[in-house]
Amino acid sequence: MRVALTAIALCLASGCVHVAPRPVATETYRPRTSDGYGLELVRYRTPTLPKGPPVLLLHGVAANSRNMDLDEGHSLARWLVAHGREAWTLSLRGTGSSDDPDRGSGRPPGYAFDVFWKDDLPTALQEIERVTHAGPVDFVGHSMGGLVLYAYLSQGGQGVHAAVTLGSPTRLDWGTRVEPVIERFGALVPVGFSIPTAFGAHLAAPFHGLADAPLQRLFYEPSNTPVPVMRALFAYGTADISSGVLEQFRGWMATGRFASADGQLDFRAGLSQVHTPVLVVAARLDHIALTPGVRDGYRALGGPKQWLLVCPANGAGAEYGHMDLVVGDHAPHDVFTPLLNFLDAQP
Amino acid sequence: MIAVLAVLALAQGQLEVSHRKVVASDGAAVALYRYSPPGRGEGQRPVLLIADLGFGRQLFDLDGRGLARALVARGRTVYVAELRGQGAAAPGPDGELVDLVLRDLPAVARAIPEPTFDLVAHGWAGALALAAVPVEFAGRVGRVAAIATPADADVPSALVEKVLHAGGALSSLAQDPDGRAALEQLFAVRSTIPPRELSTQLALLGDLGPRRARSLLRWMQRHDLELGPGDSVRARLSRLDRPTILVLGLADGWVGPELAAPLREFAPRAQVRILSLSSAELAAEDYGHLSLLRGAKAARDVWAPIVAFLEEPLP
Repeated sequence: MRVALTAIALCLASGCVHVAPRPVATETYRPRTSDGYGLELVRYRTPTLPKGPPVLLLHGVAANSRNMDLDEGHSLARWLVAHGREAWTLSLRGTGSSDDPDRGSGRPPGYAFDVFWKDDLPTALQEIERVTHAGPVDFVGHSMGGLVLYAYLSQGGQGVHAAVTLGSPTRLDWGTRVEPVIERFGALVPVGFSIPTAFGAHLAAPFHGLADAPLQRLFYEPSNTPVPVMRALFAYGTADISSGVLEQFRGWMATGRFASADGQLDFRAGLSQVHTPVLVVAARLDHIALTPGVRDGYRALGGPKQWLLVCPANGAGAEYGHMDLVVGDHAPHDVFTPLLNFLDAQP
Repeated sequence: MIAVLAVLALAQGQLEVSHRKVVASDGAAVALYRYSPPGRGEGQRPVLLIADLGFGRQLFDLDGRGLARALVARGRTVYVAELRGQGAAAPGPDGELVDLVLRDLPAVARAIPEPTFDLVAHGWAGALALAAVPVEFAGRVGRVAAIATPADADVPSALVEKVLHAGGALSSLAQDPDGRAALEQLFAVRSTIPPRELSTQLALLGDLGPRRARSLLRWMQRHDLELGPGDSVRARLSRLDRPTILVLGLADGWVGPELAAPLREFAPRAQVRILSLSSAELAAEDYGHLSLLRGAKAARDVWAPIVAFLEEPLP
């Protein structure tokens, strides 16, 4: 009985989903941030000489690098390699195989969003340069991954040749019914804590998609991303959220600002000085990153810049929600192709 | 809100609607409908409703159901204007969109006898009505409900560009399956509008006219519409100072919410309050351009918040 219960518990905790392995040929690096976090940085090499700069792929909040390489059929990283670009995936601190917070090791929990752009992203960029000597990289950020880039560039960050953001909203105050819920929930989260979102996602994974529910559509479009793909994403593509990150998001939601945790740095204002070419991609039916919020970042950028709204009215093969931008069945045609065309076109 | 919904439920009966022709300064005809609440309406501002280009009065009142009747049920006198090219004013002379602001809307304002009115404005034509607030409607408007009105104009999609480039012949699109699918992409993606009514609404769409279609496309491509020397829609919006609620539908393919939302920044003195609607937050649907006013649950999700907002006292 105990064995059976343990097996069930382990199964639920892992999402009862087969974890698709990364390709054998990947190389994993582990650069260390200035405050002691080892980061999981995975290199996907091309079999021949790459056709352009390496592309660094960065996931969103409550996620990890497997969002960019879920399995053979749903992988921006592998798709880029197949099209001649070397790809790198990064798991931010506290996600994937990167170090988790650990007070005993001098890595206290509760860090804010700011550590991602101040420390994690520069650490990854330096490591890629150390390994490849390729110069400035191209960058693709999904959701919060794009916000990390925006914040980094807005404060004068270097080393990025061109970038694409996918569903990255720089404004979060839209009068939705979700906002007060997050506001109240966030107030209950203790400081210096990690919200166990990954565990919750693992528990939900086996049951996901058994019924059509509003929560389902919050994340993706079933017509684009099959339920088994979302189950896999829930099972091994999710991560916990630091209370400090949530708190910073709550601040943005309450004030409409896109700013540092202490309020001193106005990232949105800084974007006007950014002249790194950026393609800003939004999904029309994205319930997480509402198109007005994504467009806000596009408007703030100094340029050169391009806007792409992914929807059938623009030729897409399906509707898109938040996660479909990276794991949707139609993403290679509707998202990856224009993304690479944009990066390739930058001098 | 519950009280508003209860009264809305009573608004399904027959109602006498009067109609008059208003003549713009260049002789073009504008239709103005008046809905009068029986024995009431004293002391309340009337409400002027402006539908988007291609739409007409039926957007606000079809089969005894609509925002017009919801407002009447709350004791409001309602005016619905059909500007040149819309509804009963169609086909009218083809021409530039600027005519709607400089010729039609002043005529509408003159035809409304009450000193002040609230404004409900929808879509691209609605943005023109907002632009009229500080000038042609100066001193006349109390509160504003802006439904998917673009502020940061841009081409919403390749499909919109194609339709406008082809002359904006919306009525002919409703005639064949491919055209109808395109119209649904633009106006009613996954809408809850009952199929029969959706067919009726799409069949009621009017052609924009080639010149107006070109004018609209130019507005999108240049991100602003010039109204005269040193005068433009965007410049006018910056002068908007009436309390405003802005309603956004996530699935709007004709005026994406990303194009409408910047009204909050463009019109800081209007203290724009945003109501963003999508199924993920328990609204009945993601709401498109048409379903914002005709969706099966629009009475609950859209009309009731608008009615409640208009009933708030002026600051």
